[in-house]
Amino acid sequence: MWRLQAVQHKASRSAKDLEEFKHKRREHEKALRQARRDRQLISKRVLLNEDEHQEREFMETDASPLSQEQLQEMIRNVQHGGEEKAARLAFLRKVLRDPQTHLIFTKLENSMYVLVGQLSGHNAQCQLEAARCFYELSHSPHPGVGQSCLPATPYLLTYLSNPNAKLTELCLYTLGNLWTEGAKVRERLLAQGIVCALTNCIQNQRNNLAVVEAAGFTLSQLLQDKEAADRVIQQVVSSGLVPHLISYLKPDPEFGLGPAIECAWCLHYIVSRTCDASALLTQGVLERCSSLLVTLGGAVVKGSTEEGLELLLWPLLRCLGNLLASGVCEGGRCPVGLEDARLLAALCVFSQAYLPTHSALTRESLWVLNNLTAGSTLFCSALLFFNVVPALIPLLPFSKGINIMVLRILGNVAHNGTGYCAQLTQAGLLPAICATLKMADPDVVTMSLEVLYLLIASSPNVTEEFIKLNGIQLMETIQYNNDEEQRLRASYLLDNYLHIHSIPNN
Amino acid sequence: MLHSSLLELLEGSDPTQINISTVPVLERSELQPGRRGGGGGEGAEEADCPFRFSPHSLHLHTDNELFEDGDVHRHLYLQDLVTTLQATDEPQAPHVSEFRCHITSCKQLFDTLEGYEHHYNSLHRHVCSNCKRSFPSNHLLDIHIQEWHDSLFQVMAEKQCMYRCLVEGCGLKFQTSKERKDHLIRVHSYPSDFRFDRSKKIKSKTKEKRTPQQREDCMAVSSLEVSQHRETENCEEMDISLPQESEKPELVPSQQPKPRYSYRVPSSICFGQGSVRGFRGGRKKK
Repeated sequence: MWRLQAVQHKASRSAKDLEEFKHKRREHEKALRQARRDRQLISKRVLLNEDEHQEREFMETDASPLSQEQLQEMIRNVQHGGEEKAARLAFLRKVLRDPQTHLIFTKLENSMYVLVGQLSGHNAQCQLEAARCFYELSHSPHPGVGQSCLPATPYLLTYLSNPNAKLTELCLYTLGNLWTEGAKVRERLLAQGIVCALTNCIQNQRNNLAVVEAAGFTLSQLLQDKEAADRVIQQVVSSGLVPHLISYLKPDPEFGLGPAIECAWCLHYIVSRTCDASALLTQGVLERCSSLLVTLGGAVVKGSTEEGLELLLWPLLRCLGNLLASGVCEGGRCPVGLEDARLLAALCVFSQAYLPTHSALTRESLWVLNNLTAGSTLFCSALLFFNVVPALIPLLPFSKGINIMVLRILGNVAHNGTGYCAQLTQAGLLPAICATLKMADPDVVTMSLEVLYLLIASSPNVTEEFIKLNGIQLMETIQYNNDEEQRLRASYLLDNYLHIHSIPNN
Repeated sequence: MLHSSLLELLEGSDPTQINISTVPVLERSELQPGRRGGGGGEGAEEADCPFRFSPHSLHLHTDNELFEDGDVHRHLYLQDLVTTLQATDEPQAPHVSEFRCHITSCKQLFDTLEGYEHHYNSLHRHVCSNCKRSFPSNHLLDIHIQEWHDSLFQVMAEKQCMYRCLVEGCGLKFQTSKERKDHLIRVHSYPSDFRFDRSKKIKSKTKEKRTPQQREDCMAVSSLEVSQHRETENCEEMDISLPQESEKPELVPSQQPKPRYSYRVPSSICFGQGSVRGFRGGRKKK
């Protein structure tokens, strides 16, 4: 996968570079987390073409910025370059790699005019080089640089239906980055019909997966914006783009996961903002999500180290989770598209495999399991039939939402009555609950009591088992707790089930 | 482990799915109401049933904080900061739940279940209802009650061997507590500095702050620590007072090499034997 392969070159860096990289990453991560909390999470796409990365390394060692006069000179050279124009544009582009030149460049009198002229000209090579220049400007760290690129946007949009795939790709990433440059730019782009252009691009460029990936990225930028998102979603849905997005949810053996990743994130943003997801359910999305998850599950079980798996897993799980939240699984029937029971196995595999590295994936896999089993006798029976419970119990020691979600799933199963509770007890749930009842988190203890109640109320056999595990003493201990919710529940169990059971029959 | 055939099919390249409709669906049944003694089991119980869980699916909005880690990972990827190199990957490791003692006045935290269990079994299980001291075993609790709270004990001890060996299953009885002590040291290899004495320094009212790491160490806390509510923290074996010992009644508690037997008694507790000086003189036994 050419995009993700680009990170390989970092492996050849020295240890010092690695430390710097780690440090940079930590800083960025902190900034991203804060941005997310402020609901301001946006990013520009930083790309490294294979043919360019060597040049980039070269450029990084050369630190002297160009002066105003030198840049002016370069622009003049481009303007009057004749047959050399493309080459001179290429040189300009390399210079623009250095962010320090951006501010100077954009303030020069006719710099943007010249560039736009080349972009809109007839020379294909010049168009490409000019587009590259705009790309460099689009991910400038300096505010305002992006805004000066506004004159170029109508042309960038037009080229989205251009047969030259490389040009289209560049324009897409440029637009995706420019989108983050503020409300004025966004309004302009929306008015210029960016949604329609993207839709056409995705629908018509099926053969070129690199373009699809780029378009998916740009669309995802639009869909994340908190102000424009609803408008964009409406246009996207009504233009019939959703089935196309769904159709890309499959890994391409040659090209890799890139397009699937971008389209999945788009779908996630659409589904998670839509209150009524039932309209989306008729377009085969459940089936597609489920089958891709099963495929990925198989890959993880085999120990696949394919890069980017989790980048695809995240949005897929979220799509499926929120689609299921409309209550589509309730009752005894199976919703269309979810007939493959291997989905249960895949979810379990994810929750176990990613626990040490990305525990959030564990949490989200369990969330999907909860939505599958809530109110569904079919999926609860399947959970028991395929022996999933012994795979869930070892997750109970883990906090930050993991054990609560596991308890919810077990509660969903236990809520169905005697037959289900009997199997849960057989699978060894009672000793595990005795442990969670002693945890520090009061929500965990209360939830454990809820599940315990369902188990005990199902049959006297379970009550007996629990008493053998020193259950009465444990409940009496909980009566000393200062949390009223816990005391009430413990007392209720003691009064109505436990003490009664242990009194010999008169 | 997952059902093996399910796992195999997940691994296999054969695209056949396992159709979920082949799974036998268990019958749903309602909960059995609680059986309060003498009642029909309906009506009143349901009215005050505190349990409220019902299965429901959860919808998570894009901005939900549960999605934070995934979003951040996605954006690191966009900014070209994701690598597969193990060295640079800083994993989002899972957090492990802590355990907490339920007893309100205690509320100690523990990293492991074993730590909790050890704490609870040592401190909270066998509690004397008279003086609220706890003992690790029923045997010691029995002996304690008999020796400290049974008014007949003193009387009978004058005539017979009443001091029981602390080791369960031994069964021997002795005329004096000193004899018992000697027996424990000689026959059962108890350490000679085992706390057979009660320390006078225990009247100190200092409250030492506890750290959550004290699961094993809770019994090694300096015996200067005393509080009205911490009575149940005593985890001593058995403390025997020696009525006519000439040794210093003030043993330095903090030098206890076997902290397991350290012993603190709140000042409000009055012990039948040693504290009443009057008897001390009268109970001279050989």
